[in-house]
Amino acid sequence: MADAARPDEWDAVRTAVLRYVRGRSGRPDIADDIAQETVARLVELSAVQQISSIFALAFRISDNLIIDMHRRERRLSDEVDADWQSDEPSLDRVLDSRRAFDIFNRCLRRMPPLRREVLIRRRLNQESCRAIGEDLSLSAKAVEKHITRGMIDLRKALEQAGVDLVGQD
Amino acid sequence: MGSEFHDIDMQAARWIDRMNRPVQDTEVAAEFDRWILKDPRHIDAYARLSAIWQSDGLDSALRLAGAVPTASNDDDSQRWPRPAWRRLVGMGAASLCLLFALLVGPRLIMEQTAFATPRGATKLVTLSDGSKIRMNGATRIAVRITPWSRHVALERGEAFFDVAHERLRSFSVDTGGTSVSVLGTAFDVDRLDADTQVVQVYRGLVSVDAGLGRRWRLPAGSGLRVSGDSVRSLRDIKAQHPGWTEGWYEAEDTPVWQLVQSLNRTSARPIALAEPALGELLVSGRFQTNRPAAVLDAVAAIHDLRWKEDGDRYILSR
Repeated sequence: MADAARPDEWDAVRTAVLRYVRGRSGRPDIADDIAQETVARLVELSAVQQISSIFALAFRISDNLIIDMHRRERRLSDEVDADWQSDEPSLDRVLDSRRAFDIFNRCLRRMPPLRREVLIRRRLNQESCRAIGEDLSLSAKAVEKHITRGMIDLRKALEQAGVDLVGQD
Repeated sequence: MGSEFHDIDMQAARWIDRMNRPVQDTEVAAEFDRWILKDPRHIDAYARLSAIWQSDGLDSALRLAGAVPTASNDDDSQRWPRPAWRRLVGMGAASLCLLFALLVGPRLIMEQTAFATPRGATKLVTLSDGSKIRMNGATRIAVRITPWSRHVALERGEAFFDVAHERLRSFSVDTGGTSVSVLGTAFDVDRLDADTQVVQVYRGLVSVDAGLGRRWRLPAGSGLRVSGDSVRSLRDIKAQHPGWTEGWYEAEDTPVWQLVQSLNRTSARPIALAEPALGELLVSGRFQTNRPAAVLDAVAAIHDLRWKEDGDRYILSR
């Protein structure tokens, strides 16, 4: 989709972005607005530059919008009333909770130390797979495998603890 | 269900990691778009794992895991400073790398603005993301904000950055030689000349890249002076913000030329050195920047020098 600016393709993009935003935010009430804003920005960007992956960019823009909104709401709820709860807590809120932290924490402790180390370096320190591989004497493939497995471990841990990830099949 | 969903999750996890890499070729990008369009369940899985991967909860848990000593640990330099982990937990800093990469064309849609201060005036700039930049005198910066990145070029002078925390949008400051990326939040960058930069961290954690593969992570209370090939670390920064924001210059075995340069940013009447060698003399102490004559008195007393007013400037000589 290197030249994605063709108007007939925008519908498919719009549908996919909306689905992504629903899953990513867990908030059907705001998904339409965010998806619309995302696509508007994409259209604007695609007019002036070539975009290599339309979806990678779209999802990234959505991520930022969702996180901005999450942060705004958190600030607001801190100011208004500590006990204030939205009827539909966003997925970010669920994943920022003490409970999610405990689940992640337990999961990280149980996983092989090497995998934990790889996740820390990749996600926190933003080291490249190659740099991690060199430091830990692993092939780039093996590093990638640890990251992938690590994500799945985390996802499973949440599932087993009964944390509801929206868009669950 | 079971295994099929498991496969999709594995693919989604692999894509998340790949799309977070700084360099992507168009082949891979196109393949990702095809994968997304192939099955709506791919989108669901990608969305779900993105939320997990980017969450503050995971961020905090990883920080804790990285801070608590584990059995095998032969690589201390890469570790987070242990005593500080409590502060780090919950700060939720690390921004995911990325993005320029997603874009092939060099031209980006951006909000680009330049700010400058004359000598003797400071200025507070608030950016659209809420970050605040306090500019010292005789300073020039160019700010570029896109939906996915925040970048400041410090073209000359000195500025104190109080960065609004964002998980996905990194904030970086480039001084030509040295580049500072922010993981945490408040720091000062002083571009003394083309060769020499001083970075001091007041809150959070920053990563400094001085080129040639030289990188450091500086926690709050520390700093770095990079001058060409030589690097000196600075410690014991106890204040909340740099002294100059309140009209003070803190020197600790600081070369006179550096003190003079800093004074010249604030003083209406610049100080000149009668001979360059005077600049290499070292001074320590706290100087009030809006009273150059008093500072000159002090420096002259320390090194047995003299100074005089000469037209629109001061001259320091032996």
